[in-house]
Amino acid sequence: MSQSAILQQQHNEESETITAKRFKRWMTALVISMIAGGGAILYRAIEGLAVTNLSAFVPWGAWVAFYIFFVGLSAGAFLLSTLIFVFGMEQYERVGRFALFTALICMVVALTFILLDLGRMDRSFNAMTFWNVMSILSWEVRFYLIYMVLLATELWFAMRIDLVKLAKEKLGFKSKLANVIRLGSDDTSDLSAKKDHRWMKILGIIGIPIAIIGVHGGTGTLFAAVAAQPYWNTPLFPIIFVVSALVSGTALLIAMYVIQRKVRGKTVDLTMIKGLATLMIFFLVIDLTLEFYEFLVAGLSLKPEKMAVLDVMFTGPMSWSFWGVQLFLGAVVPIYLVFSKRTNQSVKALTVAAILVVIGIIGVRFNIVVPTQIVQSMKGLPQGFYFPNWVEWLSSIGVVAMGLFLYSLGAKFLPLETEEGDVNSHE
Amino acid sequence: MSSKYDVLINKGLVNGADILKSSKYDTKLGLNMAADARRLSDGLISEQAFVEKYQESVGKEFKQKLALQATTDDQSGVKWGMVIDLRKCVGCETCTVSCKAENRTPPGVSYNQVFVEEEGTFPNVSRTNIARPCMHCDKPPCASVCPVRATYKADNGIVVQDSDRCIGCRYCMVACPYGARTFDFGENYDEMTGYQEATSPEHGMDRGKREDGKSPIGTVRKCNFCFHRLERGEEPACVETCIGDARFFGDLNNPDSVVSKMANSSRAFRLKEEYGTEPRVYYLR
Repeated sequence: MSQSAILQQQHNEESETITAKRFKRWMTALVISMIAGGGAILYRAIEGLAVTNLSAFVPWGAWVAFYIFFVGLSAGAFLLSTLIFVFGMEQYERVGRFALFTALICMVVALTFILLDLGRMDRSFNAMTFWNVMSILSWEVRFYLIYMVLLATELWFAMRIDLVKLAKEKLGFKSKLANVIRLGSDDTSDLSAKKDHRWMKILGIIGIPIAIIGVHGGTGTLFAAVAAQPYWNTPLFPIIFVVSALVSGTALLIAMYVIQRKVRGKTVDLTMIKGLATLMIFFLVIDLTLEFYEFLVAGLSLKPEKMAVLDVMFTGPMSWSFWGVQLFLGAVVPIYLVFSKRTNQSVKALTVAAILVVIGIIGVRFNIVVPTQIVQSMKGLPQGFYFPNWVEWLSSIGVVAMGLFLYSLGAKFLPLETEEGDVNSHE
Repeated sequence: MSSKYDVLINKGLVNGADILKSSKYDTKLGLNMAADARRLSDGLISEQAFVEKYQESVGKEFKQKLALQATTDDQSGVKWGMVIDLRKCVGCETCTVSCKAENRTPPGVSYNQVFVEEEGTFPNVSRTNIARPCMHCDKPPCASVCPVRATYKADNGIVVQDSDRCIGCRYCMVACPYGARTFDFGENYDEMTGYQEATSPEHGMDRGKREDGKSPIGTVRKCNFCFHRLERGEEPACVETCIGDARFFGDLNNPDSVVSKMANSSRAFRLKEEYGTEPRVYYLR
């Protein structure tokens, strides 16, 4: 399989073998992680949620945090793709298809996380067969599915011409796969390309409200609508969700793009990376501002229930995740790296900034889910404590590895990379 | 199967036939009616059948007419509610224990809890025990967030949990302002001999022995005002066992019921009324 892939790309053979070797090593590492994570998932499936650190006091934990994290990554990546396909920011077109594919894979990962979190995984389809108009979660399940179908359709239109071209080569697995996925389409004319672009634009336009209001704003509303959790219960919350989705989505795409190009020994478009990094910091600053006001208003209005949650977040035993991960690693360092003249010309520094932002958003997600549950709804109840145990960590690693595995397969066998001729060179 | 204790008890018991002989009425009829009355209370025959069977002979013997009793106290318009008198509560947690015993709840699952709140500084201190069952809110946030409608407001005022539909997402636990919901992690009191043998017909449905992978394990559980007891005409376990007689249970739809009168007294208040959940559990301060 990999042999034919090598033949197909008639570049420098030596670098191709190195790439193939790296790919093999990478995939082996992922498979090992998946097996380890699969073991933890099996253990959890047999023994139930009792093997996690979840309790009656803190019913939602790491899996819910990762679920909203990946829904956020997906929405962010998709919205970035709309900048390209709807708003015509063609300077970013190189990451367009990656953005769509990343968005799709992230949804798969997010849904796997929430499946793991269900007390009765065998009843997960109840969420489709039964419907509660008042329940945001019920709406979300449907929005996620519509959104995933939309992502897949738009990605298909984005790849269609390349799929047809690949299928015509009739060489190796990649070509065979393209032949199946093209679904009988074989028009490569300019007119059809224009039609594709129009379809992508239409789907992107439909997708924007679905992604913002339906998928991620909706996920934020899922939290914001809970009156019993005063920390969540603000109208700003869904907006923060969407903005932090944009932050993490942009950051993830920068990191993914650079790493893939570097691994394959290809050049990186620095101008585009710098543009995307600035965009990322722009979203990050808005995000921080919104959060600042969220805390400020909560603090100044002296609402005891809100103060209690902020107290846990700022001074509790897990406050390092707020100050250290969310603020220092996730905001201060990346902002410095992107704005400092010493570092903002280096692809490496910008990539590090992007990765740090992604990690910072993981901190944001944990701090959304956990601290408010530490403070109990009734005064007499003991204060909760939560930190994921090994089952939760290992299974999470497994699920993320599954996402990366699917992504790597896609990156290898699907025409996600835009060919050099398609984009005006910025190098 | 009768053990020696049964023999002893039977010896001590007075014979029904002997007693009935001393009355002027028919002994045989009395014994038959008693036997059928027992079958009626066990649910083996209907009241209708009982009345039809004895109408004629009762008319002859007692010159009375048998009437259907069940129809006179129709429960279709009933909306259950509870009143807890905080001045009577001593904080003994009998309600918590009797609830666990009645509903056979596993470790970590408790439908009823008692919170102790101490206020003031010595020597001016007050201590309040707040017993907290499910509030059975008229506008339950748990029911509105449930994605599969596994929990809902029943006509009789009880917020019901359908253990056969619940997917265990625990959204309702996060949404309940009273912390009245707990997740069944599947743990057992292994140190208790025969813990899994006895079962409780929650929501009037006996699920048999508690087993892994079988409802309600892996789902969210909550107080249901001991619905299985209400069906038998009994009060919830916590009300019946309260040593200070601090709990009252009844129909809040009926303006003459004890609970209605108490709920309308100036002492009455409800927990966290600012959430607009309209609890059906009232407290007397």
